[in-house]
Parts: sequence; C-alpha cells; structure tokens
Amino acid sequence: MSIVVVGLNHRTAPVDLREQLAFGRSEVPAALAELVAPGLAAEAVLLSTCNRTEFYLALEDTAAGEAAGRALLAGRAGLAPAEMGRHLYVHRDRAAVEHLFRVTAGVDSMILGEPQIQGQVKEAYQLALATRSSAGPVVGTVLNRLFQSALRAGGRVRSETELGLGAASVSSAAVELAKKIFGSLQGRNALVVGAGEMSEITVDCLKREGVRRCLVANRTEARAKELAERVGGQPIEWDGIGAALARVDIVVCSTAAPRPVLRGEQVRAALPGGARRPLCIVDIAIPRDVEPEVGREPNVFLYNIDDLQSIVDTNLGRRRDELPRAEALIAEGLDEFWSWYASLAVVPTIRALRDHGEALRQEELEKALRRLAHLAPEDRAAVEALTRALLNKLLHAPTVRLREAAGNGRGTAVLDLVRYLYELDHGAPAEDAPPREPL
Amino acid sequence: MIGWLHLAALVLYGAAAVLMWISFARGAERLSTAASLLLAAALVVHTVALALFTARWRELPLVGLGPSLSTLAYLVGLGTLIAATVGHARTVGLVLLPVVVVLVGVSAAEGLFPAGEAAAFQSVWFVLHVVFAFVGYVGLTVAFAAGLMYLLQFRELKSKRFGAIFRFFPPLETLDHLGRSGILIGFPFLTLAVLVGWAWTTRFQGVTAPGNPKLVWVFLSWCVFIAALLARTGGGRRGHRGAVASVAGFVIVVVFYLVLRVQSSHGGVFL
Repeated sequence: MSIVVVGLNHRTAPVDLREQLAFGRSEVPAALAELVAPGLAAEAVLLSTCNRTEFYLALEDTAAGEAAGRALLAGRAGLAPAEMGRHLYVHRDRAAVEHLFRVTAGVDSMILGEPQIQGQVKEAYQLALATRSSAGPVVGTVLNRLFQSALRAGGRVRSETELGLGAASVSSAAVELAKKIFGSLQGRNALVVGAGEMSEITVDCLKREGVRRCLVANRTEARAKELAERVGGQPIEWDGIGAALARVDIVVCSTAAPRPVLRGEQVRAALPGGARRPLCIVDIAIPRDVEPEVGREPNVFLYNIDDLQSIVDTNLGRRRDELPRAEALIAEGLDEFWSWYASLAVVPTIRALRDHGEALRQEELEKALRRLAHLAPEDRAAVEALTRALLNKLLHAPTVRLREAAGNGRGTAVLDLVRYLYELDHGAPAEDAPPREPL
Repeated sequence: MIGWLHLAALVLYGAAAVLMWISFARGAERLSTAASLLLAAALVVHTVALALFTARWRELPLVGLGPSLSTLAYLVGLGTLIAATVGHARTVGLVLLPVVVVLVGVSAAEGLFPAGEAAAFQSVWFVLHVVFAFVGYVGLTVAFAAGLMYLLQFRELKSKRFGAIFRFFPPLETLDHLGRSGILIGFPFLTLAVLVGWAWTTRFQGVTAPGNPKLVWVFLSWCVFIAALLARTGGGRRGHRGAVASVAGFVIVVVFYLVLRVQSSHGGVFL
C-alpha cells in the first residue's frame, strides 16, 4: 500500500485554474467515489480550498491511482493531461505524508501560518469519512491515521509555537488594532466610508469579531445600499458622516476620492470637546481619505495603510522566526506516523510466523497426546497450555524486533531473513509484500 | 520553617517576575502563562507560611513591619492572579510582580516575628481595620499597575509604534476596566478601614491627635481614591485621566508613607 498526493496549489497553478478545480462540498463525495474503486485507490480524501485542490490516496497500484487522479482533475479543468501535468505535483509515500503535515500546520499556505487551513483539512477528512463508494467507505486505516496524525501535529504547531499569531493581512491588521483599543469588538458600532472591495473585506473581518452595527456611507448611495445589504449593515447619507462619528467606535475609510473626505474641522465639529470614548479610524485608501491632523485629536486613533502594512510585515517576520520550531514539531509527528505506517508492512509476516508456529505446535501436540493417552483431562490441558506458553515466549522477541525493524528502516532485510529462516514463502507466494518505500 | 517557606515564596515570586519580563522582552506570550503558574505556586507556599505563623504565634500576621508587609504582598499577589484570570490581564504582572517581590523582600529582611504588641492589636476591630485597609491598598496598587500600562499602551497606539508594548500589553479597554475596578473595590474597603480604625482608636486609645502620621496618611490615601474616582467622571478622555490619577495617587501615597515613616517616632507600628 502506498500513499500518494496528486494536486495543485497557489504556487503551481494560476487563480483561474484553481477556481475551476475548486470542488464544492456537494461535489466531493462523487469525486471520491470515482477514485475509490477496484484497481484504483483503496482510500481517498479530497482537500479543496481556494488555494489548493489535492487528492490524498492510499493505493495498491500507484500508477493507476495516480493516473485516475490526474485524469479527474484534467477532465474537470477541460485540459489535456499533458497540459494539466504542468500545474500538478505528485508526492509519494513519505513525501506525501510530509506534504499533508506541512499543509495542515499552515507552513505550506500562501500566508504563512494562516489559521483556516487546519479547519479545512479537518472538514475534508470528515467529509471523506462520511462518504461511501461502491467499494465501501472511502477512508480506511491508513488515511484515517494519517489525517488524525496531521491534525494533531497541526494543533501542536498552533498551540506550541507562535506561527499563527498576529494579523497577516491589511484587513486583519485593522481588526488587531481595533482590538488593542477596545479589547473585544462584540457589540461595537462601525462606520464604513466607501463601498469598495477593501471596505467589504474589512467589514467582513469586523463582523466576524462581533461588531453589532455597520453604517455604510458612499458618494453613490446605490452602492452604499448594495454593500450594506451584503454585509448586513445600514446605509447612511454621505452628509451624515459627521453625525455618525459620535455614534461609532470604528471608522473604516476606503474611497477612491482624490482629496481627504474626513477633515480635522469636520471631526472636531462632530465631536465637540473631543471624543468621549476612543475612536479608531482606519484609512486604507490611497490617496488618504483622512487628514493626518485628525489623529492628533484626543481619544482618536488614526491609522493608514502604511501603519497596517508595518504590522503585517512585523507579524510575518515573527512567524518566519517560528518556522524552525514548527518544522521540528512536524518532523516529530511525521516520524511517529511513519513508524506506525511502516509497521503495517510487517503484519502479514508476523501473522505468517505465528500461523507457522501454531501449525507446528498443533501437529506436535497431537502426536504427543496420542502417546500420552493415559493422561487425565486436566493433565492434557496443562500440556497444551505449556506448548502455547512456549510458542508465545519464542515468538515474542521476533515479533517485537520485526516491528522495531519496520520503524527504523531495516525492515526489508529483517523481513527477508525471517521469511527465509522460517520458510514462510515456501510453497506459496507471500500474502502481501511490504510497501517498498516505508522500509 | 516559617522563614524558609517565606524565602521559598520570595524565590517563586521572583522567578515569576523574571519570567514575565523575559516573556515581554522576547514577545513570547506562552512564558507569561508559566509566570502565572509560578505566581500561583508562590501564593500556595506563602499561604502555608502565613498559616504557620498564625498557628505558631497565635496571632494574625498584621502587626509589625515584617508580618504586615508579608500579608500585604500576599494580597497584592492574589490581586495579580485575579487580574490575570478574571480580568484577562495576565501581563499586568509585569508591574505588580516586582511590587510583590519588593514587599516580600523587605518583609524577609525585617523577619517574620510577632511584634509583641498590646492585646488591643489582636481585637476583631483591629483585624478588620487592617484587612480592610490592605484590600483598599491592593485596589490602589492594581489601579496603579493598570494605569501605568494604560498610559504606555495609549502612547504606543497614538504614536503608531507597534513594538513590544503594543503586542504584549492588554488592550486599553481591558486596562481601563481593571483600573476602574481597582479603585471601585479599593475605595469602599479603605473607607470601612477608616471607620473601623476610628472606632478602634476611640475604644482603646481615646481620641487620636489630628497630627498623628497614621491619620494623615490614611486621610491622604482616602483623598487619592476620591481624586481617582472624580477623574473618571465627566466627558473627554476619562480613561486617560483615570490612569494618570491612579498612577500619581499611588506614587503620592507611597512617597508620603516613606516620608512619614522616616519622620515618625512610632515607626515600628506605623503600618
């Protein structure tokens, strides 16, 4: 059994191709069922986010399974397999496992350490767990253990390092700043000036943090209404900005106006005697929407795009500093999984060894008991128990050593030796050969 | 045994303070959690030390500089832990833990021995007076720490310097809430302490002279609380004014205490 990942991500494919290959939640079961079929994959999980689409497969016939995965993606994108191949990557066995661990920990993300990916991996795994193909469940022992291990390692990276700490985008930096002033944003009120894309993204971030009411002002009222509808806010007139300042805690400005739309005198007039409580103004427009002198007003905290970017840069730098510790945790989790996975290969040999020993024991026990026909039933039972105990003791050390050898990379040689010494392959082919790579 | 436990508590408080500062310097928030755990351990050891003191000498550690400072330090440590857990301001220990270390250090230097004072000092009135006053001063100390951090964080946010203070200190609102809570809890307790102290003095010592340094100090402390409360009323930058008042008030109270203590001929029983 091999583990393979076939997929593409933000580094290998342009956004339009990634969009085409993004699977909706309802489309995933059919895709998985298509791959998990006799002769193709034994197990499959599909991870589809805005930045990556990846099939994780556990399969006997690596070539056929990989080809099926490639064909499925090429077919969805409407590309020839060769052209599709330019954007795809394929990792096998340990490299595939390591890839999933890195993805889950956020190390492979477009924004280093971004937190959503762990939830997305978990969701992909749970969706696969609930999916059945004509051959049965699409997740079995191998991928089950693999995803649980990857999620555990990802959780450790998140809790034991600071890889995910601090805002990593301009909009989340705006939220981070507001939270440094207000603590929780639960129940706060915001005013959005401008109805562009950045406004919408920032408002989404604020809403997620619990901002209660969002007032939207735009020179074109229709656009203010549109944005207000999309974000669950309330449109206000352009001239109402001044009055609204006294009612809100956070102001987000993002218009395309060539001159400032929020002037010092306007703020002073709106807040006579200064703001009674802190007012956080985030100006993400270029050219700036807010006059710098507004920031000198008491209790007013004004930040522009450069301020937000400097927070992002600092945080990303700190995240990069945490990478070695994250990599160490990933390596630890990877080794642990790999030991388990490699030990799977010795199971058939251990089983054969025990069957062989048991057959010998039964044969010899039968002969002995025929000669000892005079024994009472309890004595016969004692003899049988003796042989069983002897067999168990004799096989204990080889069993343990085999498992250890599987984990430390000497498995193939030891397996061959055991099968040769005990003639386990004599007269019949091996029940199943160990996976090549793990050992 | 009591002395050793006291020293062990001092070492643990010191370790917690050092860890908190390392956490701040490195920007590693996880270390501040470890500092809080060390603080909890220090408080457990300190509790045992104070309980053993009470059991051995059959009096509460409230009289004499060593025992009373130790009790005050214990209560400030407890306040730090409460601020960290209930107040969501773990890093306020950055200011409070060194205060605790200084108090326990002075207490250890003075020695944890009973003062051997008159029975009057063991009456319920006296115990209530001191405990109420201590809780009041703990409130002021917490308000001072929160106020100091508020002013630093405010400056950081206003000047757009997003350095260690920005990352490590709690949000302004949290610090403001903590400072307000310190004053609102401390004030009634100090008022009660004044009332109980007045009743106790009348009962055991007759009328106290108006120039008595203890009276002067308590009156001053009470005025500081009033000022801190008034600073938080009205419009404008209430949080900022409250923080300034708490910091200035705490400094005034401590400086006056030191001055009065040096000048007082009754230094041994001043606290």
